[in-house]
Amino acid sequence: MAIRFLLNGAPEDVEADPTTTLLDWLRERRGLTGTKEGCNEGDCGACTVMVTDERGSRALNACILFLPQIDGKAVRTVEGISGPDGALHPVQEAMVAHHGSQCGFCTPGFVVSMAVAQLNARTDHDDQLAGNLCRCTGYAPIVRAAEAAAHAPVPAWMRTDAAAVAGLSAGDGSSPFIPSSADELAAWCEAHPDATLIAGATDVGLWVTKQLRELAPVAFLGRCADLKGVEIGDDTIRIGAMTTLSELHAAMADLHPGFAELIRRYGSVQVRNAATVGGNIANGSPIGDSPPALIALGATLHLRRGDERRDLPLEEFFLDYGKQDRRPGEFVEAVSVPRQPDRLRCYKLSKRFDQDISAVCGCFSITVEDGMVTAARIAFGGMAGVPKRASAVEAALTGQPWTEATVAAAIPAFARDFKPMSDMRASAEYRLRAAEGMLWRAFHEDAGHAADVLKVRA
Amino acid sequence: MPDTVQFPMRFGSSSGQPVTRRDGIAKVTGTATFAADNAPANLLHAVYVSAAIARGTVTSMDVEAAKAHPGVVEVYTPDNVPPLPGDASSKPFMFAFRFEPLQDNSVRYANQPIALVLAETLEAATEGARLLAPKYAAETPRIGLDGNAPFEIEGGGFGLPGTTVHGDVEAGHAAAEASVDLTYETPEQYHNAMEMHAVVAEWDGDHVVLDVPSQALVMSCAAYGYYLGIPAENVTIRCPYLGGGFGSKAALNGPTVLAIHAARLIGRPVKLMLKRDQMFGPVFHRGATRQRVRIGVDGDARMTVLDHESLAVTSSFDDFIESAANASQGIYSAGALRSAHKGVRADVGTPGPMRAPGEASGSAALESAMDEMAEKAGIDPLEFRLRNYAETEPGSGKPYSSKALRECYAQGAERFGWSRRPLAPRQMTDENGMLVGWGMGTALFAAPMFAAKARAVIRPDGTGLVETAAADMGQGAWTVLAQIAADSLGLPLDMVEFRSGASTLPDAGVAGGSGHTATAGGALHAAGQDVVARLAEMATADPDSPLHGAGNATIVARDGRFWVEGDDSRSDGFADILARNGGAEIEGTGGANRPQEAGAAHAMYAHGAVFAEVKVDPDLFQTRVTRLVGAFAAGRIINPKLAESQLMGGMIWGLSFALHEEAKYDMRTGRVVNGDLAGYHVPVNADVKGLEVITVHEDDPYVNPLGIKGVGEIGITGTVGAIANAIWHATGTRIRRFPVRIEDLLAGSR
Repeated sequence: MAIRFLLNGAPEDVEADPTTTLLDWLRERRGLTGTKEGCNEGDCGACTVMVTDERGSRALNACILFLPQIDGKAVRTVEGISGPDGALHPVQEAMVAHHGSQCGFCTPGFVVSMAVAQLNARTDHDDQLAGNLCRCTGYAPIVRAAEAAAHAPVPAWMRTDAAAVAGLSAGDGSSPFIPSSADELAAWCEAHPDATLIAGATDVGLWVTKQLRELAPVAFLGRCADLKGVEIGDDTIRIGAMTTLSELHAAMADLHPGFAELIRRYGSVQVRNAATVGGNIANGSPIGDSPPALIALGATLHLRRGDERRDLPLEEFFLDYGKQDRRPGEFVEAVSVPRQPDRLRCYKLSKRFDQDISAVCGCFSITVEDGMVTAARIAFGGMAGVPKRASAVEAALTGQPWTEATVAAAIPAFARDFKPMSDMRASAEYRLRAAEGMLWRAFHEDAGHAADVLKVRA
Repeated sequence: MPDTVQFPMRFGSSSGQPVTRRDGIAKVTGTATFAADNAPANLLHAVYVSAAIARGTVTSMDVEAAKAHPGVVEVYTPDNVPPLPGDASSKPFMFAFRFEPLQDNSVRYANQPIALVLAETLEAATEGARLLAPKYAAETPRIGLDGNAPFEIEGGGFGLPGTTVHGDVEAGHAAAEASVDLTYETPEQYHNAMEMHAVVAEWDGDHVVLDVPSQALVMSCAAYGYYLGIPAENVTIRCPYLGGGFGSKAALNGPTVLAIHAARLIGRPVKLMLKRDQMFGPVFHRGATRQRVRIGVDGDARMTVLDHESLAVTSSFDDFIESAANASQGIYSAGALRSAHKGVRADVGTPGPMRAPGEASGSAALESAMDEMAEKAGIDPLEFRLRNYAETEPGSGKPYSSKALRECYAQGAERFGWSRRPLAPRQMTDENGMLVGWGMGTALFAAPMFAAKARAVIRPDGTGLVETAAADMGQGAWTVLAQIAADSLGLPLDMVEFRSGASTLPDAGVAGGSGHTATAGGALHAAGQDVVARLAEMATADPDSPLHGAGNATIVARDGRFWVEGDDSRSDGFADILARNGGAEIEGTGGANRPQEAGAAHAMYAHGAVFAEVKVDPDLFQTRVTRLVGAFAAGRIINPKLAESQLMGGMIWGLSFALHEEAKYDMRTGRVVNGDLAGYHVPVNADVKGLEVITVHEDDPYVNPLGIKGVGEIGITGTVGAIANAIWHATGTRIRRFPVRIEDLLAGSR
């Protein structure tokens, strides 16, 4: 079958290996070289493209975007950010006027990120551009350009994709397998227990571009509408496995703002727009940022094989480094957390402030009634081979008065809970000290002492 | 030779204006073509296999498996590749670095090329390279400053800094009433221009056309010619744009030469683009240093001695020593001065020039040590620097061609609010309880000139054409050189066509050393003067010209016309003059170079002062730079918009040096473990707040006819130390190992 999508407004039918990336296809096959390769693993944003589907337009990294992921969607590259008659987009004009382009190699990626942000009326420029690296300008002229273009009218051609994509028929989904429902996926997974399931490909993409692995058989889950979205019920919040981190960010903004703030620093806009909650759990990474928060919220994981479903506490899914409690043919369908008063505090510690892998990520949900800790759920990433609860610390706090003395008494329990490793992100000792510091921070914040590192502003 | 015509350069319509970059639209629309964007017909893709060990030999590769993969056309290994005509182990010219044309099965550093695969598609070449699955006999690698015994440096020359002594160093130490003796370390850093190294090579007989990013187009033709065994004129380099260079694209590198060689062997065009992880090995980097800085002062905090020694890592097979200790030359007035270097050989790729080579590392240590000395002497760090302000070049005693450093200190300090800084550390916090610290450093960078040539033409329609093979790696050569040329022709900018970025044009020298604008601009200026003088002579000799008999000395050129100075009634247009005199275009040529006597008479540097504010989390020691103010005096600024952006970009490199950049080696294998943009940290947009650049006016009559110094590198110097000093001021902890790590701050807090 052919993959079908709109490229800069015109339909393309493409026969390609399912793990051909959009970037390679654009540059090597289609001869559109405005989109650049800077890292080939989603770190630098030089390959940013705009992808539009029924859920809107967003910026994605083309280097870790497999062609089947854009089946039935519209793609706009830097060549399509200018108008059909060659008219410059306001962000392009502003980038020239404000000297936002120097060597020019990162520029196409910045231009696309800025154009998408402008289309979506986003003015949080620092966040919108955190996923684009520049080695020349020092960024300030780029941000000035983004500010200057923010309130210009969105050019008409930028709005055509949304309408056009509605009438676009995608391929038939047979090869590679692109199911359109969880039921279809369940049946196929049972028959293909060794398959690789590809959600946002922000991790699996690197298996191909960096590790050069063969992935067959593969299934692309992007069309399983019933795996997407966040349902907020009276008692439970159910998060579909294919919910992107961007969507989760929006859903958490009011319910658990600490979680939302953590997600803001999860990867970059381009990565959050692709990465899914299910993928972040199922890949079992010890440094994924969403599991600690979800575990602290008391999450239940919903797994499915065929028609058989089972639930387990999220922390029990992570057995050991690289090993999860996922049976052959089974997949993550959703994760749910109980509705609860917001007591969640999340701390992500990384060497570089934005767009960096956590050295330590700590999440705390400590319930206090009448000055006494009645419940504590504390989970960490980066402290063990898996995302892990701090059970000894929880026990040391629970039933005690929520005081400095209690916290001080609980601190030694960290060493019983965790034996972290030393690696290039942090030493074992630093990790342990940092985790302890996070509990202190949680305590002081709760007591109303200003302690939020994110409030450091120029 | 006709007399020179006067130029109202300093009041011209182009120079000094913040002209928007002329290549901007091509870049924002994606139509600017970088080397790897080219795809000639019949193209083959090349992928080279990177050594997975740092020292040892390759014992086997599965060539059959690779060759059997569909699409793979050829696999070159030491067993079958015909030797390169030129000797890759020799150093036949100044910027020659030794490299590996697959001459044998030895491995000298991780990521060294050990085989090259050619295939019909990039994917097939990539898979072919994977299938080679090399096996190794590995030896224990020697990594880092302590991986081998230090060696003394002999000879001097490019990449081999020696020892420089002024005055009696021992007496200086003896005379000191207070002193510091401090050791600093800086890590290996890798250029990581956003554009990876790439080449598209297309041969026609014994001529080759190369699309390759190059900071020195004409010079590189001779170098490629040497290795390929063909005359320089048989090599054509097309390089309209570089996606950043920072020094790594100034010299030839092994993988590129190998790909060009392979294209000739296979008889088809070949494209090679390095993968990001391959940027950590064969394409240069900044070598690690360990620097000992000793400063002594008298009772008045005047320096009796500045004694700077540096040990730097180079490769096992070639020499490039980061000339860090030289940063202590030319900057502060001290009774005695010494800069000394030693090297240590490790199993890494050869280091090379990386943005402010030597100056960046050396300034980091020097400016930190100055701060520590000021602390010990109990005086403000700025006051300490002013007290040791060099009115003439220390050691040589030469006058500076110009030096507005005092103004830089004053304006930077004023803008920053430095006078409110408490002397002691750990005195300031913000409303969120963050520790706040302020630090400063002096910036210094030499103002060199190289050799360049240019050609200028005035066309029959009165417009200008200028040509020189300049390199625009982002700094803005397309724009500022055109501005200079327009002024030299007496034409508005939009009436001048500027041809550049191809080796077939006159040699513009190297875009490096912060000397490209001065050098290539100087050549364009001279060429413009030449053609204008010829045209003026034509006019004054022409009985039909209102200028007849005036003589060049009385004439000024402006807006495409000549005027007799002071007499607006006498004027003649360029096109009119040519029309009356045969109608043909008129050509001039020019060159630039600094006369030896000029360099002997004056010390020439750009100067600056950088002020930094940091906020440090008192519990977690996360550090953010919240304000950076840099004031720089760099001669005449041709284009403030571009120059300020260059300075700002340099300061961000300083921030990156202070807090982020570092290659981490696995000591067991010698491999870089963070060899990608996820792990090798450069600042992202959100890391950079509150950045301000001030340019201080300088009129320099000696540095070159245009009064230009460079702005490409100075921004790094001063900034690293300023940030480290601010961190001390915030925390009370001195960190003498860069980048400043959270864990070191944590250890220091106990």
